[in-house]
This record gives sequence, structure tokens and C-alpha cells, in this order.
Amino acid sequence: MESICLPVKAFVGHVIFLVRHGLSLLLVPQLISVFRREWTCANLLGLPDLVRQYVSEDVRLLTPVLDARRRVSQHAWAYLRMGLEFSPPARVLRAWQRARDAQQEYDESRIPPAPSRGALHVLLLGPHYVAADPYLNGNLRAKLAELGVQVSIAADFPEPLTAEGCRYLRKRPYWTNTRRSIGSLEYCRDAIDGVISAAPFGCGAEAMQSVLISSHISEAPLPHLQLFVDEHSGTAGLETRLEAFCDLLERKRNG
Amino acid sequence: MKITFPHLGNLYIAAESLLKGLGHEPVTPPPTSRRTLELGSYHSPDEVCLPFKISLGNMLEGLAQGADGVLMIGGWGPCRLGYYAEIQRLILKAFGKQVEFITLEVPRGRWGEYLGRFRTLTASTDLRTFWQGARLSWVKLKAVEELELHAVSAQPREKNEGTVRPYLRRQLELLRTAQTVDEVQEICDAASRGFRELQAHDAVRPLRLGLVGEIYTVLEPFANLRLEERLGSLGVEVVRTISLVEWVRNHIFKKAVGLYSLAPLRRLAAGYLRGFIGGHGLESVARSVALARQNLDGIVHILPLSCMPEIVARAILPRISEDHGIPVLSLIVDEHTAEAGFQTRLEAFVDLVQRRVERFEGQRQARLSGS
Repeated sequence: MESICLPVKAFVGHVIFLVRHGLSLLLVPQLISVFRREWTCANLLGLPDLVRQYVSEDVRLLTPVLDARRRVSQHAWAYLRMGLEFSPPARVLRAWQRARDAQQEYDESRIPPAPSRGALHVLLLGPHYVAADPYLNGNLRAKLAELGVQVSIAADFPEPLTAEGCRYLRKRPYWTNTRRSIGSLEYCRDAIDGVISAAPFGCGAEAMQSVLISSHISEAPLPHLQLFVDEHSGTAGLETRLEAFCDLLERKRNG
Repeated sequence: MKITFPHLGNLYIAAESLLKGLGHEPVTPPPTSRRTLELGSYHSPDEVCLPFKISLGNMLEGLAQGADGVLMIGGWGPCRLGYYAEIQRLILKAFGKQVEFITLEVPRGRWGEYLGRFRTLTASTDLRTFWQGARLSWVKLKAVEELELHAVSAQPREKNEGTVRPYLRRQLELLRTAQTVDEVQEICDAASRGFRELQAHDAVRPLRLGLVGEIYTVLEPFANLRLEERLGSLGVEVVRTISLVEWVRNHIFKKAVGLYSLAPLRRLAAGYLRGFIGGHGLESVARSVALARQNLDGIVHILPLSCMPEIVARAILPRISEDHGIPVLSLIVDEHTAEAGFQTRLEAFVDLVQRRVERFEGQRQARLSGS
């Protein structure tokens, strides 16, 4: 499975692990879109079919189609239909309501991080899977914390804020993740010392995003470190680059 | 306004007529070359795919020839192509080029801006000239494809080696200068006789290989290292599955009125891929199944490095190959693809297919004489 991105490789790895441990029903949703008029990414669109290539026929894949391109409420129907296979309607409905409330609570708990004047503050951009998984990003966030840097990621920002932040663009990016990244950068650019983007090698949207970022920060220069991760990434090189970047930020701040 | 546009195979012939009909002066960039690619790569982000780099190179070369506007297509994803134009505009801007960037796409929000763009495009024309230009452009587009298809089937059967491709180039040159629809028709008729004369009539049945993949790399000879021509000179008849005429008909005419449906493709791809994955991913899978059912001798699949929809298709093709017993070759191209290695892979694949076909033929003969 060469040339596909690291998160998908990790996903297929998880699937194969689970199947080897005897699971016969797997939930692999087809995530087409989570917001109106936006896409996740081409790899996620093909994920269930990709996974199918690596598991035997007797493993069943449960694949609700989540497609909010036209309206976000489609998600509710997809979940309800999936639930009805296993439980009576009343119970499914209750489960859905509980899930929705939990999501809402999470969404409301997301308040944009306040800049701290003391420590260096860095915005970490990139697909959530890479930004959040310490193994895939080479323990990036812990290393930055060790260096005394405060890190925000795009997921810390509420959705309406990042959508608003993309207004300045002539054409709104149609990948949810890019929209989040550019929007959060626009929102907090005055409060941060630098930007790090961590993307899987070969990620289509990320290549475009790098131009958007550099054109965005061209007027008021902001240090930008671009990292690509794949299965060959080493940790020593990453550490050196992070240290050098933080040195640079430190020096810039002290004028 | 002097308008330039990126190359896509022989699309420039039709694009020139269209722009003339719109009352603009077309500035066709020089044929895509190594220099185009180097120019484009120099100004592009590293990880972006090959078509982006080449088309940016085309634009820069066109602007160097005095164009002050760029015409490009857009889209709404999830393939990167839809966002090319916007990024290329930003790159040209950062580079200090003051250009009018006209993106053709289905409008979404900001109607005023689209209307403005449309006005700049149609500013200096009257309805009559526009209609004539558009009609001539459409006829030329169809004619170019007809000639190319003739060449694809004539090349493996040619009497004297290396005659078909130069003949095609000459005819395309004639087509480019044609001024009226009748003239185009005459060229087509003459060429169809011409191609017939170049073929040997007692030629053996050539191997037939289907060509699927990402549209730009399939149609642009520079990006695919003249794949069709190479296969042709190895004695292979290429069966095309991607047609620019069909693309325009489906994605511009039919989609605009909501008549385009993916259902036939989804039916073909059933069991392998459940639906649209962006770009030509679904088409690659569906067409491969169709080709396998047509009993072709093999399939060649071509994609640019890091093209996400095609990577998914590429992961699925081996199963189609296994299920239908048809050899599949996936070729990934980028700016570092070397000619020698590419040629070797093609030759090896054609050899393999040839031997397979001979073996089957042998078995069939044995069965026939046995019974």
C-alpha cells in the first residue's frame, strides 16, 4: 500500500490488528463530508473500499455514509439507520440524543485559547489525526511542551470562528481541515509567535495549504515550520528542527 | 485582452477558436517542454501534483509571451484541481505578475464577482461572433479527438514505421488554421482516408490495451511521456476510456442542467468502489471493469504522484485484475520520471501480455484439435 498517506496506513494497521484478534464486525464509516459544502478528503471517501482490500470476505464492514454536503442533518439519519439494525427505534433515538448532547457540550467547551504573554505560543496545523496522535507526529506536542512552548491546534477553535476566518479568501477552501487551519490562523495570528504545520507526506490538501499559509503571512512575517511525516520519519531530526525553530522564535521575541 | 491558458493535450486548437470568438487574442504557450516543467516546479510547493506544476509553467511561459490574462478551470472538490486556479493566482501575485485571472467554474456564493469575471470575458464580442467561435471550437474539439483516435488505431498497423504520428501532427496543424466548420469537416474526411492509406491491410491483430487514469496524465503527452505513441510503436492498439469531448459534454453541458449521473459508473464499479471519490478515481475503477468485460488484453493505469483519488483506485485495481484475469500496469509519473525506466516497464508489460495471449491462443488451438 505504498504512496497512500500515513494516517490511512495507520488505520488499515488497526483494522488488520482487530481482525487478527477475531473481530468480525467493524465500523468503518464513509466520511464524505461533515460540513455543508465541504469535503473531508479523497482518501477518506475511499476508505471503506480500501479497507475491504485487506480483510477477508467473512468480516462484515458496517459503513454508514456520512455526507453533510447538502445538509448537516443527514448525519442523524445515517446514524439512526445504522442503529436500527441492532436495536428498537426508541433505544436508537435515545442513544442518538445522548451522542448529540455530548457533541454539543464538547463544541461549546471549545473556547479559543488565550495568548499567554510568558511562554512562546505556537499554532500547530495539520490533519487532526496527525496533530492529535503522538505516535504519528513523533510526540511533537510533548516535545514542544518540554521546550516550554504553549501549543494550540486547529481543533481548539470553534467551527463558526474558523469559517469566519476564511472570509478574506477569494475562494473558500472546500476541505474541512484546510478551512479550519486557515481560519484559526487568521483568528489568532496576532497572539502567536509561530506556526508549525505537520502533514502526512503526499497529502493533497496540505500542499495547497502551504501556499495559502505563506501568502497569508507574507505581509506580517510569522515564522512557519513545515513538517512532513511518513513511516520513515526519525525522531532525532525532528527534535533538532523543533529546537532550532524555538530558538528562532525566542530570538525574534527578544528582538 | 491577450489571454493565455494551460495546455491539455491538443485542447489549444479548440481553445484558440473559443477565445477568438470571445473577442480576445489567444496567446498559446509554447508546447510543454522540460523548461516549462522546471519553471513551474520552481514556483510550486514541492508536494503538489505534476499537472499543477506543468500548468503553472504553461501560464508563466504564456505571460512571458505578452499575455495579460489567464484562463483556467476551477471546481469544488474534493480533487485538488478545483483549487489549482486560486493557488496559482496567489503564486503569480506573490511573484509580482499583475494578471487578470479568469476561472471558469460553477458559481457558488459571491455572484457579483462571477458576473464581473464573466463580463471581462465577454466584454468585446457580439452574440454572433461568439456563437460562431463557440461552434467552431466545439467542432474542432470533436475533430481533434477523431484524428487522435484514427492515429491510435492506425499506428500499430502502419505500413512503414513512424509515418502515422508525423501525419497526425500535420493534420492537427491544418486543423488549427481552419476558419470554418466546413473546412474542419474537409480536413477530417481527408485525414480519415489518409490514415487508411498508411495502414497495412494484412496486419495481424495488434494487442489491445485499455488506458485508464487521471485525465490530465492520460491526455497530456508531455506528462505521460507520450505513452500512447510509445505503446503504438510497440505494436499495441490503445483503447481510450477518457475523452475530452465526453468530459466537456458531461461536466460542462450536462452538469450545468443537472443531467449528469454517476449511476452507470457506480453500477460498473459495484463491489469494488461504492461511489465518487474525487477526480477520476471512480471512473478508473469502473472503466477498468468495463475493459475487463470487453476482453481486452490488458489495462494501463496512469496517475500523477500523490494524486489521492487515483491512489485509492490503484489499491483496488489489483483485485479487479485478479477477479477478471486481466493484467494491470499502474504507472506513477512525476517530474523525476525517467524515459528509459518508463520505456523498460512498458516493454516488459507488453511482453507479458503478448506471451499471455499466445499461451491462451495455444491452449485454444490444442482444445480445438483435440476435440
